Amino acid sequence: MGAEKPEVFHAAARAGGAEGARMAPAAQAAAGAPMLQGTLDLMVLKTLETMGPQHGYGIARRIEQTSENALSLNQGTIYPALLRLRQRGWIRAEWGTSDNGRRARFYSLTRTGKAQIEKETESWERVAATMARFLAAPAGGEP
Amino acid sequence: MSRLRELWSRMRTVFGRHDADLDEELRAHVEMAAEEHRARGMSEAEARTAALRSFGGVTQVREQYRLREGLPWIENLRRDVGYALRQMRKSPGFAATVIVTLALGIGATTAIFTVVYSTLVRSLPYPDGDRIVAIHDTRIEGRSTGGLMTGPRFFDIQARNRSFESVAFLYFDESTLVNGTKLPVAVKGAGANAGFWDVFGTAPMLGRTFNAADDTPRAPETAVLSYPAWQKLFNGDRGVIGRQVTLDQRAVTVVGVMPQDFSAPGGVDLWHAAQFVPGNWGSYRGDGLRFINVFGRLRNGVTMAQAQGDLNRIGEQLGREYPQSDGAWRFTAETLREDRYGNLRPALAALLTASGLLLLIACINVANLLLSRATVRQREVALRRALGASAMRVAAQYLTESAALSLMGGCAGIASAYALTRGVALSLPGALGRSGAVHMDWIVAGVALLVSLATGIGFGLVPALESCRAGLQTTLRQSDGRVSGAGGNGLRSLLVGIQAGLSLVLLVGAALLAESLWNLVKQPLGFEPGHVLTFSLNLPWDTKPEQARNFYDDVEQRIEALPGVTAAGQINAPPTVDWHLRSSFDADWLPRIAGQPAINAENRTIAGNYLRAMGTALLAGRAFTAEDQMSKLPPVLVNEALVGEFMPKGNPVGHHLLIDGEAHEIVGVMGNVRGTSGSIAAEAGPEVYWPAHANGGTHFYFLVRTRVPPEQMVDAIRQQVYEADPRQSMGDIATMDQRIDDAVAEPRLNMAVVASFAGIALLLACVGIYGVVAFLVAQRTQEIGLRMALGARRSEIALLFVWRAVLPALVGLAAGTGVALGLAQLLRSQLYGVKANDPLVYVASIAALLIPLVIATLRPALLAAWVNPAEALRAE
Repeated sequence: MGAEKPEVFHAAARAGGAEGARMAPAAQAAAGAPMLQGTLDLMVLKTLETMGPQHGYGIARRIEQTSENALSLNQGTIYPALLRLRQRGWIRAEWGTSDNGRRARFYSLTRTGKAQIEKETESWERVAATMARFLAAPAGGEP
Repeated sequence: MSRLRELWSRMRTVFGRHDADLDEELRAHVEMAAEEHRARGMSEAEARTAALRSFGGVTQVREQYRLREGLPWIENLRRDVGYALRQMRKSPGFAATVIVTLALGIGATTAIFTVVYSTLVRSLPYPDGDRIVAIHDTRIEGRSTGGLMTGPRFFDIQARNRSFESVAFLYFDESTLVNGTKLPVAVKGAGANAGFWDVFGTAPMLGRTFNAADDTPRAPETAVLSYPAWQKLFNGDRGVIGRQVTLDQRAVTVVGVMPQDFSAPGGVDLWHAAQFVPGNWGSYRGDGLRFINVFGRLRNGVTMAQAQGDLNRIGEQLGREYPQSDGAWRFTAETLREDRYGNLRPALAALLTASGLLLLIACINVANLLLSRATVRQREVALRRALGASAMRVAAQYLTESAALSLMGGCAGIASAYALTRGVALSLPGALGRSGAVHMDWIVAGVALLVSLATGIGFGLVPALESCRAGLQTTLRQSDGRVSGAGGNGLRSLLVGIQAGLSLVLLVGAALLAESLWNLVKQPLGFEPGHVLTFSLNLPWDTKPEQARNFYDDVEQRIEALPGVTAAGQINAPPTVDWHLRSSFDADWLPRIAGQPAINAENRTIAGNYLRAMGTALLAGRAFTAEDQMSKLPPVLVNEALVGEFMPKGNPVGHHLLIDGEAHEIVGVMGNVRGTSGSIAAEAGPEVYWPAHANGGTHFYFLVRTRVPPEQMVDAIRQQVYEADPRQSMGDIATMDQRIDDAVAEPRLNMAVVASFAGIALLLACVGIYGVVAFLVAQRTQEIGLRMALGARRSEIALLFVWRAVLPALVGLAAGTGVALGLAQLLRSQLYGVKANDPLVYVASIAALLIPLVIATLRPALLAAWVNPAEALRAE
């Protein structure tokens, strides 16, 4: 069950009762890493950069697919993040119509949002590189 | 930058939420997800469940979103304000009491502050008004003449000073104005130089002011009208500019009208060019010329001290050049503000203190009320705390409630202070009553609003802190019927004590001022003010002496012949009129020192039956005769004060006063009269009375003693004046009683204000103590029942509660007596005939305060005594 439905996550797992107990191992197996603070913002921005204007559901699905379900993402948590980005002026929102004719709110990058991607990407790469070097260092440390 | 944008965006959403938008977005999300699941072959129900599961908690998302969207503390504030308003609606009596109490305190303080700010803080209503100074001529030793200067000394300042851009003089002038074919009207004019308009700097509303060309001798005469005179005499006709009118039988052209709020000085109808030049008075520089008020506009950057130094230099030069006339005088400068309002400073300081005390009393009352309420709500608060509300949140809620109440009270108070100051501004005594002098502006209102907010928060803190302090467990465990007093009772007693003490301070102040006023009004004046009509009658100043004498004699005889008139007399300035004319004399019974005349005295000229009309006693000798009024070497009358000072053991009748090389025989001594130079609070000084028509005067007041109410005689007298000379008109008509009334208007107002504050304070203190006792009783009903069941008598129960409230009040009164003794020193300059520490005043005030306080405790205490013990014990 966990394998086909990787989007099962904590809240549902904690929903209690027999079902929760039954689902817990699967959830753990499928969705490993919890989200790091700030990573979601960059993911959303990056998604909008590659896909162009997109609605919340689309962004959430894209993040799940790109991360190959390696992240435990509550799709709902995307909305407070979208609000935060909007408040900072990095994205804007407009009501529009989706491919299958449904009314939805579409988010797109602003100019400052584009600049922000560069900045955050750079800082992420630095952190990642540092971490990689750190982890690759031989045991025993410096001679 | 992006943080700022975030804050702005959050602020916006506080005032308009987008919940509907979010809901629609979330619904769309779930449906899209469900659709995808359905497309993979799930049933409708399965697809929906799966979609919701992958979404996570909708409620949590919405909650997060909402927190993110607005500003939590503003949200809380909004909720607290809503809660506070609901509480007010729930108990309107409580809310109304708090609001009215605060409105009284804030209103009183704001009204007084408006006056203080208008006079002592705000710039005077002239361009660069802070650079205008009043220059007084002051006798180095002894009494001055109200700062008045002689013309020659003014022109010397004008020629020699280095500090003033321009200097101005001004003198009062009563004239008769004829406009076209209308009847003549007496007007109050001011003669001024052209520099007057440069010093005061206000532009005319219509036309122009007079200039240097108008202010030269024999130039065509010009006049500038004041706004009230323009309205009253010319019906506000804009075509008045260029019109010729007759002023004292000379043709004068109206060249301008000043704006409504221009008052320099207050109460004049018109300004005309004096056309003085330095040579006007020949070589004479004597005191007979002291009649002009002098002002100057400081050059940019010149300080008051520099200007004073400059004036000292000129004064010393003149003293050396003219030792006889100028040696005894010096110039003193003060700001125009000081000149105009400086004498009000002590009274205003006292009134502001009094209003501050009243505000404090009101705040204490409110704190007490809030505290009582907080106790009632203790259990509710404890419950909320138990359910997870933080102490901070609960305190914040209390503060919001008291801040909301105080803002409402503050607004009500400010509105009533605005209405009050607007309503009475023009009827305030003296310089305060001038148009535009006293008015509230946004600064005053803003300060008042801040003060009310600060008091709301300050005194709201008391119950807020109480609520934080109260232990959760104890409160919740406590049953409804408390046997022991709950927390806050000690605090409440303290507040009652402070309130009683502060009320005493106000009451003592009011009592001291009331006694002063009583002393002032009831003192012997040296004349009988009842049944006396006074009015002025002015001829052109160049009327021939004989012609003037005949006219005034004629009018006097006509008036005395009227039925209802007992006596009529004339004087150049009656008591209570602010007028000065001092001279220095030698006396034939005193050693003579050249250049140092022995006697300096105020001069008045009188005619007709002056002494009888005024009711002033002739103590020795005789009054003036008709022959005296025509004498080439007129005799004089002197007053008791002159005799007392210069010939304490002897009869001056038959002796002589020497002035300008002539000897004037003293033919009589009259009683002292109060108010000769204006103030009836001042002791009478030496005075010399001259026969009015021996030297030819053209400005006189008539005093008419009547058997009927004096107002009834006005029309008959006006008819007689018209028959004597149709070109003349009565001016400045008032009964002597009215003049006395005006002379004490300021002390009476001060007394009335402090007394009303004291009355309000007393009322608030009674309400406060009543509330405390009622609260104690309500809180301890069960205890009362228990005590009674154990055999306590009803009177004991009642006494217990009276005592509980009166004891702190007594302690407060004792402390208040000390404070009052200290603060009464502030009033010292306002007191008349009573000492600031008069023990009788204090004892009476304590009694006046204690009696109503005790009575206020009686009702709730007696209610307590009539509690039915069985019911009280059963009550849960």
